[in-house]
Amino acid sequence: LWRATQPSMCFWLLRAAAADGLVNEEVKRTVDLSTHLAKISAEILLANQGGSPVQSFTLALEPELGPHLAYVGASVKGEEEEDESLELKETAVHGRSGTFFQVQLPSALAAGGKLRVKVETVLTHVLRPFPSHITQAERQLVVFQGNHYLYSPYPTRSQSTRVRLASKTVESYTKLGNPSKNDEVIEYGPFKDVAPFSQDTMKIHYENNAPFLTISSITRTIEVSHWGNIAVEETIDLRHTGAYLKGPFSRYDYQRQSDSGISSVKSFKTILPASAQDVYYRDEIGNISTSHLQVLEDSVEVEVRPRFPLFGGWKTHYIIGYNLPSYEYLYTLGDQYALKMRLIDHVYDDQVIDHMTVKVILPEGARNVHLDTPYVIDRSPDQLHYTYLDTFGRPVLVATKNNLVEQHIQDMVVHYTFNKILMLQEPLLVVGAFYILFFTVIIYVRLDFSITKDPAAEVRMKVASITEQVLTLVNKRLGLYRQMDEVVNRYKQSRDTGALNSGRKTLEAEHRTLTNDIAALQARLKAEGSDLAEKVGEIQKLDGQVKELVNQSCQESERLVAGKVKKETYITSEKTLAGKRQELISRIDSLLDAL
Amino acid sequence: EPISNNPQQKHSVSAQEKGLGAGGSVSGNGRPNTAAGCGGGGGGLSGGLTQPAGWQSLLSFTILFLAWLAGFSSRLFAVIRFESIIHEFDPWFNYRSTHHLSTNGFYEFLNWFDERAWYPLGRIVGGTVYPGLMVTAGLIHYLLNLLNVTVHIRDVCVFLAPIFSGLTAISTFLLTRELWNQGAGLLAACFIAIVPGYISRSVAGSFDNEGIAIFALQFTYYLWVKSVKTGSVFWTIGCCLSYFYMVSAWGGYVFIINLIPLHVFVLLLMQRYSRRLYIAYSTFYIVGLVLSMQIPFVGFQPIRTSEHMAAAGVFALLQAYAFLQYLKDRLTKQEFQTLFFLGVSLAAGVVFLTVIYLTYTGETAATMATQHHSLAQHMPSLYFSPLPLINPIKPVILNLDTERLFDPVLSAFAVYFAGVMVRLMLTLTPVVCMLSAIAFSSVFEHYLGDDMKRENPPAEDSSDEDDKRNSGNLYDKAGKVRKHVSEQDRPEEGLGPNIKSIVTMLMLMLLMMFAVHCTWVTSNAYSSPSVVLASYNHDGSRNILDDFREAYYWLRQNTDEHARVMSWWDYGYQIAGMANRTTLVDNNTWNNSHIALVGKAMSSNESAAYEIMKSLDVDYVLIIFGGVIGYSGDDINKFLWMVRIAEGEHPKDIRESDYFTPQGEFRVDKAGSPTLLNCLMYKMSYYRFGEMQLDFRTPPGFDRTRNAEIGNKDIRLKHLEEAFTSEHWLVRIYRVKKQENRQALDHKLRNVAAKQKYTSKKTAKRKRGYVKNKLVLKKGKKLNKKSV
Repeated sequence: LWRATQPSMCFWLLRAAAADGLVNEEVKRTVDLSTHLAKISAEILLANQGGSPVQSFTLALEPELGPHLAYVGASVKGEEEEDESLELKETAVHGRSGTFFQVQLPSALAAGGKLRVKVETVLTHVLRPFPSHITQAERQLVVFQGNHYLYSPYPTRSQSTRVRLASKTVESYTKLGNPSKNDEVIEYGPFKDVAPFSQDTMKIHYENNAPFLTISSITRTIEVSHWGNIAVEETIDLRHTGAYLKGPFSRYDYQRQSDSGISSVKSFKTILPASAQDVYYRDEIGNISTSHLQVLEDSVEVEVRPRFPLFGGWKTHYIIGYNLPSYEYLYTLGDQYALKMRLIDHVYDDQVIDHMTVKVILPEGARNVHLDTPYVIDRSPDQLHYTYLDTFGRPVLVATKNNLVEQHIQDMVVHYTFNKILMLQEPLLVVGAFYILFFTVIIYVRLDFSITKDPAAEVRMKVASITEQVLTLVNKRLGLYRQMDEVVNRYKQSRDTGALNSGRKTLEAEHRTLTNDIAALQARLKAEGSDLAEKVGEIQKLDGQVKELVNQSCQESERLVAGKVKKETYITSEKTLAGKRQELISRIDSLLDAL
Repeated sequence: EPISNNPQQKHSVSAQEKGLGAGGSVSGNGRPNTAAGCGGGGGGLSGGLTQPAGWQSLLSFTILFLAWLAGFSSRLFAVIRFESIIHEFDPWFNYRSTHHLSTNGFYEFLNWFDERAWYPLGRIVGGTVYPGLMVTAGLIHYLLNLLNVTVHIRDVCVFLAPIFSGLTAISTFLLTRELWNQGAGLLAACFIAIVPGYISRSVAGSFDNEGIAIFALQFTYYLWVKSVKTGSVFWTIGCCLSYFYMVSAWGGYVFIINLIPLHVFVLLLMQRYSRRLYIAYSTFYIVGLVLSMQIPFVGFQPIRTSEHMAAAGVFALLQAYAFLQYLKDRLTKQEFQTLFFLGVSLAAGVVFLTVIYLTYTGETAATMATQHHSLAQHMPSLYFSPLPLINPIKPVILNLDTERLFDPVLSAFAVYFAGVMVRLMLTLTPVVCMLSAIAFSSVFEHYLGDDMKRENPPAEDSSDEDDKRNSGNLYDKAGKVRKHVSEQDRPEEGLGPNIKSIVTMLMLMLLMMFAVHCTWVTSNAYSSPSVVLASYNHDGSRNILDDFREAYYWLRQNTDEHARVMSWWDYGYQIAGMANRTTLVDNNTWNNSHIALVGKAMSSNESAAYEIMKSLDVDYVLIIFGGVIGYSGDDINKFLWMVRIAEGEHPKDIRESDYFTPQGEFRVDKAGSPTLLNCLMYKMSYYRFGEMQLDFRTPPGFDRTRNAEIGNKDIRLKHLEEAFTSEHWLVRIYRVKKQENRQALDHKLRNVAAKQKYTSKKTAKRKRGYVKNKLVLKKGKKLNKKSV
């Protein structure tokens, strides 16, 4: 499809590159096509043949592959097996099409110096199913079109390419330089002295039954609560982007023949954080009951099985969500908070995400929000989210990015400030609401909304309240007698006349006030025209008798103490008195009950 | 006011008893209370709780709250065992319309023309539903969202019926309290909260009209009784509003509009006419009529159809009666008036009876009866289960007050209705609950404890003072004297404490067993969503068969948004709700000829069916096949109904007899009729099933549901292809292939004179949707449950 270098342009660029003086001394390329991704990694031995030290070098990607680029990373092979990743910046090269990155070296490469750099590139949607429609019984064949050479602005001295395929079955492959094929590996090269920006189409048509799953869109919502919980919910649109299923889907074949629908996806594993709890997996019509959850030591594994197997072109949609304890992800210093979480998490191995939206819902009242991301991501305007007990809304950070792969599973940090006093807002709101509710009820039951007055009912209520008071007073008065009895008893033992007299005095005084009160109430009852007044009068009369009896027993006891009566006579007289009193009191009670 | 007969209350301490006495006077009752307090004790204890009203309302509140809680929780079996999901068939439509309401607003909902149903006809949803349910759920959802309570509309729908069961319990309490007393009211509330007959229609997820309608029904009754009692327009208007809510919620409002006139009529017959009755009924009839006509689906039915004529007749009768009463005051000729009255009431009675006759024994009743008896209910017929327990203890109500008369009228009416239509057993349930509550309440009144006696001293006012004093004095000691008193009071009873306790224990046992029974029935019979099936392995572990949702979700995700799915009408609502695809027929079976067309396509051979499907623009055909797992409610078992309905409309093409063997059997094996073995439904059900060996003991192609080896194993489809089959083959979806491209003609078509078009000679009856002796589907009537 695309032709290789044009000599004149090549010349121009050679000069440009020569200005750097960099040369790719030795290049080992590995093209991994065993999944639905194209993972191209290259180990480049850079040599500075120029006159001056070089601070940076340029990485290039073929213009045809540029739009498919999901991830590119470069690292320096350190001495102690430690890879040091380098900083990349997208740039442009004048007069050349393609995607270019300027890679900053950790230290300047001196003239004549050499450096081993590892470049990793992940391309998505570059494996084209061919044929594009297959039946259930057929296997999936795909075509990869790439470059035999390393696309680089620098001349390459020596280069070899090793292609790893998904299976042994290869329909065809380009035979530049007589490559060797061994099972699922094809080795090209070595090619010597390749000019800068050399392109030569490498085309491999082979069988690949790896799951061609693509997340066409994912919305990841992270809701932070300062009450100790972080809720994560991912809404995922999943699609099988392999060869389309042609013709019928036979469940019989699918169940009985193991190689039927071999490229279809039955299930996959999603790895959640180890502290994930309350995992749910559902869609618009309810739980997806075909899933399994396994709690491992360092992670929680969900076996996500869509409701139906996914064949080429089929799609599904689901929601997966879980809760995390906030202490693992939320850091705080005074009013400063920092949320450190994965921007995107694992959905399935070798995942491809076409479009991602991340929403971080911060607690109500969070201010000075600042988002640190490990890679460039588009921020949309912040939104407000209202949920339980919110009044002015929670700030929502919205960020989007296209074309993501596994390498993008990295942490982001959200910084914000939050006044701790705002934590009280929600409980106070609840308290206030209940207060208002009860207060309203209290007010309501005390208000009279009737438009007509019912005098009878009013009188009845008045009478009832008066009777209530009478009842209390009478009971109090009866209580006085019992107190008096105690005083008398005590007197009988201590023979302290003073105490008896003072007790009698208080009785008299209290009794008088109570009787007066009752009389006043009785008068009010009469004024209301209630016949209960008579009953109260009767009670008063009876009470007078009781009072008499109490006084009598008092005197009797005095006489006993003074030795004026014998004990036996005292006891009998006391008995009769008590009997009479009991009778009177019970009559009063029955009257009271009749009130 | 009757005094509460709560057992707890009786055992309260003496101080409270004292308070109770005071309460009697507060309520203006003036009933003498022989249970005097114990000699002036507890003088200081006159706080709020010593008030009888305080205790009573606290107890009532607690009991009602617990009844609500119990009712709510016992409806959650399905949610706990499965999930928060809408059940069955009709609820899916209700859910879908509620969803539409909540997303598009009320006016959009009223004007909603659903182009996804009854393709190509569509359905005017706003005018063909009782919107009460959707509006209630939508309103709750709206209010919650207004308060930032982010609840999904599905959860509102799922939990609406359980929540309303609590309201039903409260309104039953109010009604029973009006009719009898508070104790019976509380018992009735507890009964209705857990009675299976009502639970069957109101478990969580069963988002159906009945869930809220029973509440509206009970509440309307309550307000009606209240308005007859008080004769106040205020209560009557309340009753009308409640009636309006009922009309908006359920077609069963007809029950009210016939029952209340009947009550009035019976009162008139018993010479219980009063001004209060006149005010109540006149207001109710007019305002209720106008309000009920505001529901688009009801429209002018209240003045046109025979179901409503009884109310109009009684209204006229009442006016005439009132007029006569008025005349009676003015005129003096007593004999003349009596004669006049007799004549008029006779005439009115005749009119009333005629209307009743026309309404329920005529066409309507026949329709309803056949329709509902012929259609098998998905729920097992455990409707009757609470009845045997309660029926024998219905009390004989001797002394009938005006409002108490309502009860027997209600029960008689409900029993009649329940007899006509099994589904209306639902309306009987509250009545049974109330009656049994009254029975239990009066039994307890008689047998429960000694304290009862002093609560109900019949004519003790005249008894001598000594007796009172005795009982008062010895209150604390109970025992002998008390017994003596009771013997004096009711010599006919002569009950020893043993008998009392035995009876009480028996009653309590009965109640306990009732509660256990209710829970058992609820848990076993009514708590399956029927969208999700579950099977249990030998070790007790559960296997969920989620085939329905699997297939519906496949349709939703992997077919064109405007794809048209043909299926039997049972699955119409589910396809619309879960798969969100256009259906040809659904559970709102308003167009019989359309259903017959689908039935005809299913029962014809493939090429004939293809013609029909082409003319109907069908893209996919969905069938239910239970042969693999032994699911008996599948399409082959329903197939005869498709044939019959198709035959009703297309007697020339489809004949039921063709689908039977010469012996008159319906068989799917080799002996089955060739027409059956080659019809589309058979082919789709058993496509490739002939190769499938489920078990080593059975031959390949052994249908577990019908226990037969299928007769046609080599099925080839020409115009259809298998598009999807769910994991357990329960749902099978076929794609209708597009016509193949044809070669363009290189010559012009010959001109042929058009033939005379065939004109149908169907009778008028057939045109209206007549199905041979079996099933009559009426326009606008909702056919609820499923065939076969």
